[in-house]
Amino acid sequence: MSSSTSVRTDDPPAVVLTGITKRFPGVVANSDVHLTVRRGEVHALCGENGAGKSTLMKILYGMQAPDEGTIEVNGEQVRFRTPSDAIKAGIGMVHQHFMLADNLTVQENVVLGAEALHGIGQKARKRIIELSGRTGLNVDPGVLVEQLGVADRQRVEILKVLYRGAKVIILDEPTAVLVPQEVNELFDTVRGMQEQGYTFLFISHKLDEVRAIADSVTVIRRGTTVGSADPKTVSSRQLAEMMVGSELPSPETRESTVTDKVVLDVKGLKLMTPDGSRPILDDVDLVVRSGEVVGIAGVEGNGQTELVETIMGMRKAGSGTITLLDKDLTKLGTLARREAGIGYVPEDRHRHGLLLTQPLWYNRILGYQTRKPAAKGIWLDTDGAKKDTERIVSEFDVRTPGIDVPAAALSGGNQQKLVVGRELSGNPVLLIASHPTRGVDVGAQALIWDEIKRARAAGLAVLLISADLDELIGLSDTIKVMLRGRLVADADPNTVTPEDLGSAMTGAGSTSAAVHETAVVEEGEN
Amino acid sequence: MITTLEEKPHVPAAPRKRKVPGWAVGLLGVAGAIVLLSVTSYQTGFLQLTSSGTTQTAVRLALPILLAGLGGLWAERAGVVNIGLEGMMIMGTWGAAWAGYQWGPWAAVIAAVVFGALGGLLHAIATVSFGVNHIVSGVAINLLGAGLTKYLSTLIFEPLSHNPRQSPPVQPFETYSAAGLADWLGELEQGQRLIISDVAGILRGLVTGVSPLTMLTILLVPLSYYLLWRTRFGLRLRSVGENPHAADSLGVKVYFHKYVAVIVSGALAGLGGAALVLNAGQLSYLEGQTGGRGFIGLAAMIFGNWRPGGLLGGAALFGYADGLQLRSGGETVLALVYGVVLLLGVIVVWQLIKRRWFSAAAAIVVAVLLYLLYISLDEIPSEFVSYAPHMVTLAVLAVASQRLRMPAADGVVYRRG
Repeated sequence: MSSSTSVRTDDPPAVVLTGITKRFPGVVANSDVHLTVRRGEVHALCGENGAGKSTLMKILYGMQAPDEGTIEVNGEQVRFRTPSDAIKAGIGMVHQHFMLADNLTVQENVVLGAEALHGIGQKARKRIIELSGRTGLNVDPGVLVEQLGVADRQRVEILKVLYRGAKVIILDEPTAVLVPQEVNELFDTVRGMQEQGYTFLFISHKLDEVRAIADSVTVIRRGTTVGSADPKTVSSRQLAEMMVGSELPSPETRESTVTDKVVLDVKGLKLMTPDGSRPILDDVDLVVRSGEVVGIAGVEGNGQTELVETIMGMRKAGSGTITLLDKDLTKLGTLARREAGIGYVPEDRHRHGLLLTQPLWYNRILGYQTRKPAAKGIWLDTDGAKKDTERIVSEFDVRTPGIDVPAAALSGGNQQKLVVGRELSGNPVLLIASHPTRGVDVGAQALIWDEIKRARAAGLAVLLISADLDELIGLSDTIKVMLRGRLVADADPNTVTPEDLGSAMTGAGSTSAAVHETAVVEEGEN
Repeated sequence: MITTLEEKPHVPAAPRKRKVPGWAVGLLGVAGAIVLLSVTSYQTGFLQLTSSGTTQTAVRLALPILLAGLGGLWAERAGVVNIGLEGMMIMGTWGAAWAGYQWGPWAAVIAAVVFGALGGLLHAIATVSFGVNHIVSGVAINLLGAGLTKYLSTLIFEPLSHNPRQSPPVQPFETYSAAGLADWLGELEQGQRLIISDVAGILRGLVTGVSPLTMLTILLVPLSYYLLWRTRFGLRLRSVGENPHAADSLGVKVYFHKYVAVIVSGALAGLGGAALVLNAGQLSYLEGQTGGRGFIGLAAMIFGNWRPGGLLGGAALFGYADGLQLRSGGETVLALVYGVVLLLGVIVVWQLIKRRWFSAAAAIVVAVLLYLLYISLDEIPSEFVSYAPHMVTLAVLAVASQRLRMPAADGVVYRRG
């Protein structure tokens, strides 16, 4: 719990939103939203994806104008036309998707748009170094942003906001991209800055984190604020039920359905970097059986993406074999592998899963262009595809006005439900799910979990890659930890904690207490 | 619980440091090129390779390419692919001729800049405001530039010059030479000493017959660097080319900076057109005079990795290839082939040190083929010779494009919101 000593109640609140309403064609994104943030507190804003958090923050940050309602900052009513107005009023925003130019230096990224403060030369550099300490950023301002890791990029984002003199900082889903250790570091930074008088608006749907960092919580559901809570007394479950408005799902699967039948057998898989200097995948052996969920844990960039893409045939392995139900896939292309019975939920649905500008039924055909119901002989069967899209929409509860709208019109959760529905059609024997519930709301998450569980019970083999450790532990029958291209550790999902997993993921596994335990150690070491 | 199968010490990646600064790489490259040409001319006996006359022609021919390349640099750093440089250059040539025959060379320069900028404005309206695909808009501007000038020439130039394809003659700039220095360098050049004479020849070419337009153009290179990399305006412009959404979220006026960049781009391409018209050899507008130099300028910019220094190198290379073929013809170009063989030899050694066997083998094969070509021919057929700059463009881009880094949002249509 964070200290509430720095929260000053006698001053006017830092931010007050009253009766904010914002309509877009066809939808009301926010209706009659009320939010009060006291000075010096960490105020969490919770809600499902699509509940209207982002729109609300865009309004507060001047990126969109509200149709109704007022904004007060430090007791004075304000009206923001552009983000610059919000910045002038002392409000800064750290976006969920980093707003950084990779090919510019840290310093250039920080001073951009705020050159009037200290110029772009030595004076600015000095100021940046001065402020770096507060965010825990420990790199030279002249380094290119592309050379920084995710946590440091986030610090650069916070630095940008500080440099502009913001006192109220909006953090939009800041932990989505971090591993548990990095989350703790971020929270230390936030607490340190809170003591120096900064106010934070923390947007998240990860409720444990909200309870760990926030001084007060406001919950938003279907575009309107449904209440506030004291994070010290409320449980994560209660909060979540406020968010969803009903009972809550969990990823837990306890009765084992693992069989002896090996579905996917990967042996000695190797992949080098394009310049051949270092391996991305180093001698990976992996077996997934029918009815089994094998989870891969790892900090992003340790080869999980490449492992999946190599199994899918999107990258060519240097050596090793991939076998699916006794069929050698090693030399086959991606389409042939899919036809052999692999369903694939890609990690970035916008890049690999969907054509955003095309209608839903068109997206149904992708990857199935040679198979029923999307094809008849050499011709595409659009009627069949449309009919099957209708089925997916109703079975997987994809909320859409129709199957003719472009995929871009759907929220992230509904897009993902469509992808999962498509990949579970056509009787796959193996499902590869990369971050299947990343960036989706609780409702969609529950549905996707249920569908994976149901398919697993019916004998599907699942290879699950996820950064959400609760999901990984809850769904998996076996967990393997990936570090620098190797599978370095096994973990038992029945007993392992996210913290243990987190330290194994960063390579500090040997210092974790869980490592020294029981017979499983010997078993795993052969 | 966790069972650790193996572990490695966690070493945080040290930030990559640049060992040699950019200007030093540039100087080394220039020095290397001079040594290479010097050895080639000594070995083959073609002194024209480094004569002051060749250099002078090369400079003259490099100017339009350099200006087109700078134009490309401005536009692409702001994220707009400008394949319409050729068309803007054509508009510049017409504008230069139209103002030049009436009011003299300075008016020609100004008119060329204005005409080119108008082309740039059109490209900006299409790509930035209306979100037209950059390539489509660029191609349209190339067609428009050619068509419009043809129409205007028939309308305005034909009654005076009695030729719809040519304008009345334009009054040239006066040129300046550093007299004392040039004479002294001339003596050195005559001395026939390896490298010293070659350097003297090249320098003499650089300080003889320099027009104000040449000086202006050369100055535009450091000026562009300063504006784009050392000022607030330049930072904003580049940020728009790297990540317009980020720039927008920080209050940078994305559309404004793109407009400015593309208009400046057009103006520079137009100035390139003026450099063609005011060229000592022609001194008038001629249909088809640009001859793809807008595209070659774009290639020079890509060769220079979207940076002014590298772009200067690219323009010099293409200008040199062009100047050599124009001045000395097939035999000398063949001598250049010999130089390329020498260069490939150096590359082979380098690749062997780096243990890149495949690249080394490829370089050896190409070197042997070129050497066979060199000893079996007396001169390169004239049909091919005039395409020397284009060949160089192709070869250089094929080799150099491996490690280039374009602005991240280059060619991406930006929509606010």
